[in-house]
Amino acid sequence: MRTFPRLALLFTALPALALAQVSSGEQPVPAPGPESAIPPEPVSASPQPEPPRAPRERPPPVTPAIQHAPVRAIEASAPAPDAPVAMPTPAPPPASADDTPDLSSEGPRTTDASQQRLVNGAPLYDPNVNVHIVQKKRFADEGHHEVVLYPAVVQLNGKYTNHVGTALHYVYHLQENFGVQLAGQYNWYSDESHFNLELIDKVREQAQAASSLLLQWGVQAGVEVTPLYGKFAFLNNSLAQFSVVLSGGAGLGATRHLIRPAVANEVDGQTFQVPARYGDTGTKFLGSVGGGFRLQFGESYSIRLEVRDLLYTARVDKVDGCSLSDFEAMETARAGNQPFSDLKLSGGCKVEKFDGVDPKTKKNYREDIILGRDLVAEPSSDVLNNVSFYAGFSILF
Amino acid sequence: MKARSFRVLTSLLATLTALGAAAQEEGVLDSAVVRNRLYRPAGHPELSLSVGLPVQTHLTAHYFFDVGLAYNLFDTLAVEARAGYAASRHTGLARSISESFLDRQDKKITDELEDLWQMNFHGVAGVRWAPVYGKLSLVSDIPAHFQAYLWAGGGVGSFKRKSVIQCSHVVDRTAGVCDDRTSLDDRGTAREDFWVHETRVAPVVSGALGFRFFILDKHGVKLEVRDWIFRDSYRVNLLRDDWEAGRETGEKAPSPGLTHLVQFDLGYTFSF
Repeated sequence: MRTFPRLALLFTALPALALAQVSSGEQPVPAPGPESAIPPEPVSASPQPEPPRAPRERPPPVTPAIQHAPVRAIEASAPAPDAPVAMPTPAPPPASADDTPDLSSEGPRTTDASQQRLVNGAPLYDPNVNVHIVQKKRFADEGHHEVVLYPAVVQLNGKYTNHVGTALHYVYHLQENFGVQLAGQYNWYSDESHFNLELIDKVREQAQAASSLLLQWGVQAGVEVTPLYGKFAFLNNSLAQFSVVLSGGAGLGATRHLIRPAVANEVDGQTFQVPARYGDTGTKFLGSVGGGFRLQFGESYSIRLEVRDLLYTARVDKVDGCSLSDFEAMETARAGNQPFSDLKLSGGCKVEKFDGVDPKTKKNYREDIILGRDLVAEPSSDVLNNVSFYAGFSILF
Repeated sequence: MKARSFRVLTSLLATLTALGAAAQEEGVLDSAVVRNRLYRPAGHPELSLSVGLPVQTHLTAHYFFDVGLAYNLFDTLAVEARAGYAASRHTGLARSISESFLDRQDKKITDELEDLWQMNFHGVAGVRWAPVYGKLSLVSDIPAHFQAYLWAGGGVGSFKRKSVIQCSHVVDRTAGVCDDRTSLDDRGTAREDFWVHETRVAPVVSGALGFRFFILDKHGVKLEVRDWIFRDSYRVNLLRDDWEAGRETGEKAPSPGLTHLVQFDLGYTFSF
């Protein structure tokens, strides 16, 4: 029970690890922006504030063709449509230690009209413009479609349950920071937790049926926003840009509950392994909120690391469509060794699931009636939070 | 609290490590975007205070209060000593189990539950590796400089354990009372309980994944997920007749496994 989720976890990390291997040996691509000219090796070791000191140290630029606004910061939350993604100008050699470039050595650059291109109303190399805080995004999302595959989704808060699954999301980016989303998820492993089984074994207690409800699959529609973005350096020589992603949605999910764990069935001296049996507990309303990081690779690929909380209402008053009165009628018939065909059961009750003998394992399904009845004997309800870690990759087009 | 918690930390560590290398992918790289660090902690000692809250509780809940002293050998590497106290308690679930099990006399032989040790005083020393330095644009003009780090180390901790199964003096079986309360319905009136207690001092290993956000010159805020790991210990094959008579019963579990206490830590740092 414990090893399976760990294996699933390792599987979760595979996409990121694979990309890490592919990435070795790549050469960095210079990009525009004032920080491109900032020297990599600082001299001072003490932290310093980040004031825009450049105007004091730098002679007035020769930019007759462009009329500047006075001192103002450049908002770089979206790529400028009139600015190229990368400039061919190579970065000059390092000359300063702090976060502010030594612009006195950059004078000639500002004479290049191409470098005076307006970005959100201000030129990138205007000395009267504050140092760019975060470089403009290199790739636009607006109008793009994004398909995200999360090969493994692992539940993090499995108190009474454990879930591992795969999710596929589609996002259409209506705007740079806003998109609509369709999400689907299938949990190919969902079972009660080791902790719950320990309670059953040692103290004969277990979670209420509603609290240990298992989610099989879910589909949702929602929205996604990317309010923040940033950049980071790894060991001073590898750099990446990322976005903080927040999402929310609503939809439907199918649930089930464990009726009987796997058992060994002895018949006529032969032992048959009977797999665990689950009962359908219906389709529930599903909601989700989540957040994470999107790390973009080039124009078309990205890695996503997110945590999402799937919330679903759980009320267990029927199992496989059968209510308490149905189970009691079946149990009475079973005790009297009578056929179920004459019973007056509710319409949705799948009586065939509790009647007959499995030809492979010789397990008599009627023995599960009492277990199903126990689940609905005391109808329980809960709102479950299934918090899971999503690791995946996406393609934008 | 064990394997589940461990998965959280492991997955985050694995993916973060991979991300760093993956950043070299063409198209994401930029030769000098954040190469210049505004904050350089190298050579500076550092004092930190932190509060840790449990990410998830099963039978116990811990609230950590720690003080840390660190010295930054390099911008990306520091050594740190942390010490503190964890206020711990049984959860409502543990209490409910203990009360109901008193009356479950059909269960004559059982094992103690796992993960019931509660940590109190603790001290660890470790290494903090911060390979990631970045900037986040909070709003258009407010930069947030941060480091992402991994922390690993070890030390010792003091532990106590109160059984939820072995009551050496049953006062009221039906009501689930195993203490000297004066009012049956008010456990707050009890001065002593009769559950089996144990204490020990044991090695502790700790690992963390966190972010440190720099504020002004010397201040910082840390957010981290920290896992405290120690060896579990409990007894098996307990006989109800023996423990209710106050006799020691059962034997130690041969493979008790590890207990993980996963915490969300919020901290403040001051750099000298």
